[in-house]
Amino acid sequence: MLAVLPQLLVSGVATGMLYALIALSLTVGYRATTVVNFGHGDMVMAGAYAALVLVGWGLPYAPALLLALAGLFLLGAATQRALLQPILAGPHLSLAMMALAIGYAMRGAARMEWGSEVVTLPRPYEQDAFMLGTVVLTMDELVIAGVVLALLAALVVIINLTPVGRLIQAVFQSQRGAALVGLDVHSFHGAMWGAGAALGAAGGILLGLLVPLTPDIGVYTLIRGFAAMTLGGFGSPIGAVVGGVVLGVMEKLLGFYVSTVFIDITAYLVTILVLLIWPSGLFGRRAAVRV
Amino acid sequence: MATPDAILVARGVEAGYAKKQILFGLDFSVSRSEVVALLGANGSGKSTALNTVSGFVRPQAGSIRFEGAEIAGKAPHRIFRLGVVQVSQARDLFSEMSVEENLRLGAWVRGGEVARLLDGVYQSFPRLAERRRQMVRLMSGGEQQMVAIGRALMADPRILLLDEPSGGLAPSFVAEIAAIIKALKARGIAMLIIEQNIKLALSVADRFLILRDGRVSQQHDVKAGMREEEIVRRIYL
Repeated sequence: MLAVLPQLLVSGVATGMLYALIALSLTVGYRATTVVNFGHGDMVMAGAYAALVLVGWGLPYAPALLLALAGLFLLGAATQRALLQPILAGPHLSLAMMALAIGYAMRGAARMEWGSEVVTLPRPYEQDAFMLGTVVLTMDELVIAGVVLALLAALVVIINLTPVGRLIQAVFQSQRGAALVGLDVHSFHGAMWGAGAALGAAGGILLGLLVPLTPDIGVYTLIRGFAAMTLGGFGSPIGAVVGGVVLGVMEKLLGFYVSTVFIDITAYLVTILVLLIWPSGLFGRRAAVRV
Repeated sequence: MATPDAILVARGVEAGYAKKQILFGLDFSVSRSEVVALLGANGSGKSTALNTVSGFVRPQAGSIRFEGAEIAGKAPHRIFRLGVVQVSQARDLFSEMSVEENLRLGAWVRGGEVARLLDGVYQSFPRLAERRRQMVRLMSGGEQQMVAIGRALMADPRILLLDEPSGGLAPSFVAEIAAIIKALKARGIAMLIIEQNIKLALSVADRFLILRDGRVSQQHDVKAGMREEEIVRRIYL
């Protein structure tokens, strides 16, 4: 039984990095507006389908992916500005309902085109596997790990070393302060939701490498992103990443050593247990969640 | 009330929050290089007046003109770009950043020569120059107030809106803040100040307005020499 452990850990980390990316994309929007986007899973789905459509039209892979990300940036920013910003001062429940409704509308639109049909995103590379001692590493896992690490590195550089990053940190520390130095906070909120949607879309495209896509894939991604965020501590970028990786590993370990049922319910169990026992999570300061 | 020299003119401003109206036809003006103090009891509408000028509260009626341009109801960042810069009562600093990072962000939108502006602020506040790398969260209230005023100065303001600059500060800091405001006045920066400390308000202002129930009930020249007790009586009685 223990001989499989290294393999489970490696596969768990690879899947977990994908969850980390989705949790991070959810965190970006949350940090900007303190609103959890319950429609975010459907943005992830939309990203994967946008890439699928563009590749289907015969566009080369790289421009198709960039266009999909740009499209999702615009969609995220536009929904925030047009539908959420006007009610941002309203009751929390309205914001949660609005975000959910936007998600369902997108899911409905995808169902009109694809129904319950299962589609797969073509790979731009040959699926291959490499042996690392007794551990098998697939090309998909390497691509996911590589892309997520590159995106994380880019985010760390942008946030810590550029003027735009300084501004993002400033808004996170004090929105009113940012407004007092002349920042257009509403546009900033829109841009951050757009950035969150684009990052989520990158997650959706990578997810399309691992599992078949359906218009309902958003539920799968939202609950895992949410669980990773909760485990890592709400609003903490590093927490989102660590939470995602831990969740990925837990799914594999519980799924193998306890029961395969756990693969599907680990995210729910983690959310319930963390909220109940340790609401601030690994890196969170407090669990003041505005839904 | 508005002189030809007036840069900020408010007329019949009505504003409030949700269903509660606070300002009922506010009229006032501030001239170039003039310092005007807004006095009034709690709830008289002083902070709402300041926040309506800076755009954080949207007026329901009335006009606010800055250097001839209508600014009533414009977004805060648009009003800021014209040089109307506010220092809020809560200061709203970037607490996890250093003094210098806070100051530099103050110059972010209105541009200007950052090095020259920074030198100017450090000359006005030598204490901030000594602590330029210190994280703002670890500073005293008085020092944080200096950072807040310094950050506003980095935007090279045409008019400064100060909300309770001496609020919650130790007496030694109140004197220091008063000296700083006088120095800014000497540089010709127009200011609209809310201040509970009437002695401080009278020491820096050219004129003071008494707000009551969301409108200006009286206005006086400081030079006319009204006694402090008399002003307090007019505010509260």
